[in-house]
Amino acid sequence: MTLSYAKYAVLIIVLALVQKTFVWLISFSSLNISPDLVIIAVAYIAIKEGKIFGCVTGFLSGLLLDLLSGSFIGLLALSYTIAAFVIGHFQNESDKYLGKYYFLLLVFITSLIGNFVFYSVYFQGTVITFTDIMLKFVLVSSAYTALMSLVYIFFPKKRAIGTA
Amino acid sequence: MKKFGTVILDLKEYLVLILLVVISLILIFANDNSQIRFMRAVAVTSFGTIQSGLSAIPNVFQLEKENKVLRENNIQLSNEIATLKEAKLENIRLGKLLSFKEKSGLDVLSVKIINKSLTQSRNTITLNAGEKDSIFINMPVITDEGLVGRIVTTSQNYSVAQILYNKDMRLTVKVQRSRVDGILTFDGTNNLILQNIQKNADVIPGDLVITSEYSNLFPPGIPVGTVSETGFLDNLFKKVIVNPSVNFQILEEVFVLKYTAGKEREELEKKFKNK
Repeated sequence: MTLSYAKYAVLIIVLALVQKTFVWLISFSSLNISPDLVIIAVAYIAIKEGKIFGCVTGFLSGLLLDLLSGSFIGLLALSYTIAAFVIGHFQNESDKYLGKYYFLLLVFITSLIGNFVFYSVYFQGTVITFTDIMLKFVLVSSAYTALMSLVYIFFPKKRAIGTA
Repeated sequence: MKKFGTVILDLKEYLVLILLVVISLILIFANDNSQIRFMRAVAVTSFGTIQSGLSAIPNVFQLEKENKVLRENNIQLSNEIATLKEAKLENIRLGKLLSFKEKSGLDVLSVKIINKSLTQSRNTITLNAGEKDSIFINMPVITDEGLVGRIVTTSQNYSVAQILYNKDMRLTVKVQRSRVDGILTFDGTNNLILQNIQKNADVIPGDLVITSEYSNLFPPGIPVGTVSETGFLDNLFKKVIVNPSVNFQILEEVFVLKYTAGKEREELEKKFKNK
């Protein structure tokens, strides 16, 4: 169990590093669209380990990204915590939901919730309308993140983190 | 108590959620806290160290793309620098001309040289202004540094000026310090020669040569050049070489002085000669 936790921690740190270092290579910066690799791992862990563990993982990984981002501290932690809690409901049939296309859908939902919470607070006090936030930021980024989770789907099952 | 414990256990997921949400909110509202700034500094430093190590890994596609962008930027910036340098030089030149115009109080017209010859024995410059701009034959051409020459031909929009390096140019001048008069000519090679200077005349290298009031074409006092070399031509006269005040090699803009010799004086002198 401890080994699994250590692997999750390493996974999150590596993904945070990739997110901060290389993700701009696959981002559409002019459209503010970039995938969120860390939330894919958070979704996986929440489905695999449940709400409590998912919440804590979401909180800590969000906090890590907050600390690195230079933006609000606590906002990504809040977004990831809520998203992980919601998606943790799917733990009961984790094998099913960690399967190919369910996972894609669940990553989309996790990202959608996370982005919704994040951008709703982030754009408070600006002139950007709710519809714009939803269409230009939340939906598009979530879809792109879900698309990136295809990497997990095509990842050899035996080498997946949770089955190690 | 046991029942309370059971309730807590049942709600533990929600309690954890509430706890984490509350911590997140506290963090959001305490963004300026010094401990948070410290934590952020530690996180950024740690990740920055790793990131700087990773940045050493070359990304071929990115490098190619970056290289292309840099090359394009380089060309663009080179063009911009060339344009800016040109504009700066033009600005300096025009600034000098403008300040000369203001200081001298003379009625002058600023014109651009569109063609010039410097390697022949009869050298001229072509100016982008002509009769339409009230430029007429014999008007002096000058810069803030000194005399350039005089207009010899005009059309509606252009004019041609004879410069000091022209064998047909004969200019009545005087040495400013000693008031010695002479005639400045071009020897057809490289030198401007001050003629008719007596052997015992007080002319030494460094003396400023200016236009003389004896001239029918030029107003007096315009710098022409400085004496660069003196020697003896024969038993009667000195050989005096003059270095022009104006650098003809880099000349781009000039002033045409709207000055014509007094007609009354000209007619009187003509009349006297005909007697």
